[in-house]
Amino acid sequence: MYWVSVITEAAVFAILALGLDVVWGWAGDFDLAFYGYLALGSYMTFVLTIGKPVAPVQYIIGGHLPLLLAMVLAVAAVVCLAAVIGAVALRNLRDIYFAVTTLGAVSALYLLVENYTPLFNGYNGVYGLVNPGQTALNLTYNGYRIVFLGVVLVILALAYLLVQRLSRSPFGRMLRSVREDERAAAAYGRRVFSAKYRAYLFGAALAGLAGSLFAIFISAFNPSAWTPQELLVIYAAILVGGRGNPRGVIAGVFVVYIGLVELTRFLPSPASRPDFGPALRQILIGLMIVLMLKFRPEGLFRERPGLDGAQGLAARLLRPFGTRAAPAPAGGVPAAEEQAAGDRGAG
Amino acid sequence: MTTFLVTIGIGLSTAAILALSAVAFTLEYAVSRVANFAHGEFLTIGAYAAYSGQHIFHQSVAAAAVIAAVAGMLAGLALNAGLIEQFRGRNSITIFIATLGAALIVENVLIIVYGAASVSYSFGQGRLHHVGPFLWTTTDLEVIFSALAVAGLIYLLLQRTRFGKAVRAVSQDRALAQVSGIPARRVIMQTWALAGAVSGFAGFVLADTIGTFGPLLGFNFLLLTITATVAGGLGRPYATLGGALIVGLVIQISGTYTSSAYQLVFAFLLLVLLMLFRPNGVFVRRSATEVRA
Amino acid sequence: MSPALLEIERLTKSFGGVHAVRECTFSVPEGQVAGLIGPNGAGKSTVVDLVSGFGLADSGSVTFAGQSLVGKRPDVISRLGLIRTFQTPREWRNLTVMDNVLLARRQFARESLWRSITRARRIRREEEADRAAVRAILERFQLADLKNELAVRLSGGQKRLLEFARIAAAEPRMIILDEPMGGVNPVLGARIGQAVRQFADEGRTVIVVEHNLPFIEKICDQVIVMDLGEVIAQGPFSGLRATPRVVDAYLGMDQSHE
Repeated sequence: MYWVSVITEAAVFAILALGLDVVWGWAGDFDLAFYGYLALGSYMTFVLTIGKPVAPVQYIIGGHLPLLLAMVLAVAAVVCLAAVIGAVALRNLRDIYFAVTTLGAVSALYLLVENYTPLFNGYNGVYGLVNPGQTALNLTYNGYRIVFLGVVLVILALAYLLVQRLSRSPFGRMLRSVREDERAAAAYGRRVFSAKYRAYLFGAALAGLAGSLFAIFISAFNPSAWTPQELLVIYAAILVGGRGNPRGVIAGVFVVYIGLVELTRFLPSPASRPDFGPALRQILIGLMIVLMLKFRPEGLFRERPGLDGAQGLAARLLRPFGTRAAPAPAGGVPAAEEQAAGDRGAG
Repeated sequence: MTTFLVTIGIGLSTAAILALSAVAFTLEYAVSRVANFAHGEFLTIGAYAAYSGQHIFHQSVAAAAVIAAVAGMLAGLALNAGLIEQFRGRNSITIFIATLGAALIVENVLIIVYGAASVSYSFGQGRLHHVGPFLWTTTDLEVIFSALAVAGLIYLLLQRTRFGKAVRAVSQDRALAQVSGIPARRVIMQTWALAGAVSGFAGFVLADTIGTFGPLLGFNFLLLTITATVAGGLGRPYATLGGALIVGLVIQISGTYTSSAYQLVFAFLLLVLLMLFRPNGVFVRRSATEVRA
Repeated sequence: MSPALLEIERLTKSFGGVHAVRECTFSVPEGQVAGLIGPNGAGKSTVVDLVSGFGLADSGSVTFAGQSLVGKRPDVISRLGLIRTFQTPREWRNLTVMDNVLLARRQFARESLWRSITRARRIRREEEADRAAVRAILERFQLADLKNELAVRLSGGQKRLLEFARIAAAEPRMIILDEPMGGVNPVLGARIGQAVRQFADEGRTVIVVEHNLPFIEKICDQVIVMDLGEVIAQGPFSGLRATPRVVDAYLGMDQSHE
């Protein structure tokens, strides 16, 4: 059951990481607000399903909606927030200015949520979403957790397929061209802001979905769960796995998260210092970030551009009696696996 | 009216600490072209060093301040040698992320060494003084005076000494400075030592003013530092003082008229607004020559 | 004389007190290859930036095919049919050569986020036609073997050719080349000259900003000379030698290389 929990959490973070990779890996924008989108997705899922608050607990809405509807609305709310922050930050700001602005925005929101209790019960947060639908589905507690893991994995698989399809599409290609060189992209007719903005909203939607699932997983949520530093774990995972490579991103999350959990499990945590384990984990995350950036910034799985000719080959394989002659792949089919190990335009 | 002036008075005290931190941050940026997100850790290290030192020297504020500055200086040197120089030539956002990683490491090392719970000094705050319309404690006065003194020293250093000239040359163009015979690496190292020392001192002063502090002291203060730096204009040490003043005032005024819990919310909103409308600083006429796609 | 495709009238731009471009006026008829020359600091690149939307003029007008370009964003201007290059080749480094040129095809509708998800298969089919066209263009510029290479790994000369391949793929109405011969060896230079003449044969209008005067002499129908932000002469190359202002601006007209 321990492993069920660990893998579920990793899978939820993988969905978040896929969304963040669209913004950072494909579009090249280093965003620090993303964990805030997960948080809002989480909070909204709570306040739409756990019913009216009972004093002294306070929070907005307090609905009793069916879970699926609540999740959809939560994602919608997140996209709205991202629409505001993205409109502000993406228009003219890049690189460090963009990063700092998103950090400022999410920090302001964090403090607001922490101190303005009528919103989401401030410092104490919301709770009470324990295995929604467990009795209706006639499952034990553990049984539910296992089924939930299955559901999350399915959602992750669907998200992966969606992201992969988008990555290989003209939109994905166009977004990467904007990352590589904005001026050239504009000189060839691309609306830079519009492209980045759409990517941002798409990524935020995935983050909101992850938040929604996280709410069900964790059954309680408060500000200690979403400090801006939490996002660094996801960035470490993307760095390890491979920026711009959806498969790599998922692999990175599982490797980093499960690896860390396992590594630190066997280390002694002195009774007088309960912070030792978590602190050590954070140190390892920091080291991972620095070392990956220094020695292998593109990650374990590099971003793989779609190759021409390979598609013709696929078409030929799928349609053995096809009349359209697929063009002979000049210079061999796969193999441009090597990539100059330089930083990209946005680092 | 009195409340307003007292508020401004407190704002000056906060601004003084912010100014120290922001000037150091600006020096780091000017000389290495990096937005150092581990900068806050210099303050935290300084604060904790003074805390540890307090056990040795007991009630001496001056000794604690010196220890904090030395600790900060060592931290600055270490970060420069261990991280900044290692990433020389890389993309600015890459170094930025690396400093984030470094900040994470330092914070958590401190958590391991000192624990995550808050600690505090045992210096007294001192009596209250009426200085004109303002109401300050002894600590406040010490803070303001020392901030002004340090700022003055830095000014003299940058304008009147050969070292200062070298720093300005290196911040303009490192390669060119080197070709002109300036030992760029050494100058950079010394600047980081200076920035670290000032930050360590600022950290001590900050911790002393707030009362209790934890391992996230510097990181939380970092965003304010950046706000002050942006308000003044990145890379311009003197305008930074003005920026710090603005931020300090925004914090205190918003805190008094809404509630102290929301002070920082306003400060961070100020940051976002600055980024939108005055990314080059409040004191610069915004030029619209760069057209964005 | 065909009607003017590009008309610039009294274009003015200053940067902090310095007049980069001052009352600049010239026009380029459709189908022509025009050279824009002048000593360093004459304002040529600024004019290119202003026309293509990468800078905002202080005053004056820019009309392209009857439409005013002033205040329009670069991507809008590009979609109207005006493609420009930059002084250094700006390829998309971590994309393949094929992707680089494919992106120049004006298929913006396919790049919608929604459609890329829902109509992926149909889009891939539709894209085949463009891919075939791009393969032909790559052949033309001798880049076909490199189509799956990342653009960053190309040599300097190949990157220049890649730029021309992109322009060819975009099928623009007007092309502005910003110093295409910078640091280019004679063999590559000949190829570039060929490419420009081919664009002209296809009916496209070309403006070439250049220092390499023999190149200008060879391929341009008319030449516009700028100095200190102003247009000081406009006409066929042969006439320029006789114009004293032009001779003054250039210390000797017989430079063959920069």
